[in-house]
Amino acid sequence: MNQIVSISLRFLLLFFLQVLVLNNLEIGWGTYIMIYPFFILLLPFEMGIIPLMLISFFMGISIDSLSNTFGMHASAAVLVAYLRPFIFKAFAPRDGYDSVETAGIRVLGFQWLIGTYGTLLVIHHLWFFMLESLQLNEILLILRKVALSVPLSFAFSLLVQFIFMRRRGE
Amino acid sequence: MRNLIAFLQRFRLFLVFIVLQVIALTMMVNMSVYANLQFLSTTSKINAGIFSWRQGVDKHFYLETQNQRLARENAYLRARLKQSNYQVERNTTLIEDTTYKRKYKYIPGTVIQSTYDKRNNYMTIDLGSNHGVKKGDGVISTAGVVGIVHMVGTDYSLVKTVLSQNINQDVMLEKNGAFGLMKWDQKSPRVIQIEGISSDIYFKKWVKVVTRGSAGVFPKGIPVGIVKRRKKLEDRPLWYVDVLLTTDFRTIQQIYVVKNLDQEEIDKLQRAIPIDKDED
Repeated sequence: MNQIVSISLRFLLLFFLQVLVLNNLEIGWGTYIMIYPFFILLLPFEMGIIPLMLISFFMGISIDSLSNTFGMHASAAVLVAYLRPFIFKAFAPRDGYDSVETAGIRVLGFQWLIGTYGTLLVIHHLWFFMLESLQLNEILLILRKVALSVPLSFAFSLLVQFIFMRRRGE
Repeated sequence: MRNLIAFLQRFRLFLVFIVLQVIALTMMVNMSVYANLQFLSTTSKINAGIFSWRQGVDKHFYLETQNQRLARENAYLRARLKQSNYQVERNTTLIEDTTYKRKYKYIPGTVIQSTYDKRNNYMTIDLGSNHGVKKGDGVISTAGVVGIVHMVGTDYSLVKTVLSQNINQDVMLEKNGAFGLMKWDQKSPRVIQIEGISSDIYFKKWVKVVTRGSAGVFPKGIPVGIVKRRKKLEDRPLWYVDVLLTTDFRTIQQIYVVKNLDQEEIDKLQRAIPIDKDED
């Protein structure tokens, strides 16, 4: 029960931050900061892929409805949710995730976060910008957008984590 | 049958993934076609309500510039009034009764949400079908062309700005009437391109670009921008033209929806043209 409440709160926080603040933060050169993949990353480890994808789809479609992207965010979010277990497996710590199931991502360390979240963000941004453009001759622009947006999205996610989400047990 | 169930069970994750992707991508492609999916855009009441609330907070920061802009436009229009003009030719009398017919109507509105740095940029305005806005109407600002109405809700509608991939409105050079289609290469929110001006037509830099008005969406001569850069394309006998827009999409607040009062007649005429079989 407690977990459902905290997930819902996190959902609302990242959702409103994304649509009310970050969607309007247009720095230039097509940079688009997207932090809602962080929500997908932070969903419980033991969650099955199907509920994961459904929740991600819902997150994506909610953001779509407020940024006039008509399903692009939903598609990218579902892709991230589908790939999350594979990425987690690739970056698994030496003795698996059993010991950290309840402890959250702080235990896993910054390096793990860069590995998993960085990879997910690159995939997500690449997919999103490609859907947005749908033209292969703009691939250089797309790559530039990805290269500019991913570090900023990563940094903003960490910032949100530090400002709004308190350490467990405090 | 058992094999099929086994197959479905084995690939059920991937199948759910594919189903969700197909739903999302179908939406992306058909969004503006299905009106019943409108609640998933910013024209819906709840979503637009969120943005009106947000705009209510931050519109005050731009009041001064907006007032100046509107005052400038007022001054320009005031200068064109009859009472501010002195009649030079005294011998002839001009009677205007039915020689002029009103062709365009303007509905003023406010931008409640807009972007300028995405691939396709949309803006939400606080005018909808209740105010007589229809899909395909033109939108202009105090400075120049803004875009086309893309989707209409009851109280809000979505405008596809000229900073989009397929805006394809025709514009022309004011001097010689050479015309082409507007495109946007997403490099800068101040600059768009014109495609299709033949390279044997000569024109100077910094000439004015205005709407051509052939589709009936915009009146003829609404400013678009000035030619900022021109160069000959190497592979085709065409000019590559960069146009510096007069409308700054980063600070836009007030817009007018242009309604062509003869649109129905134009549509009727265009429907009467038989579709060329070779084109598709």
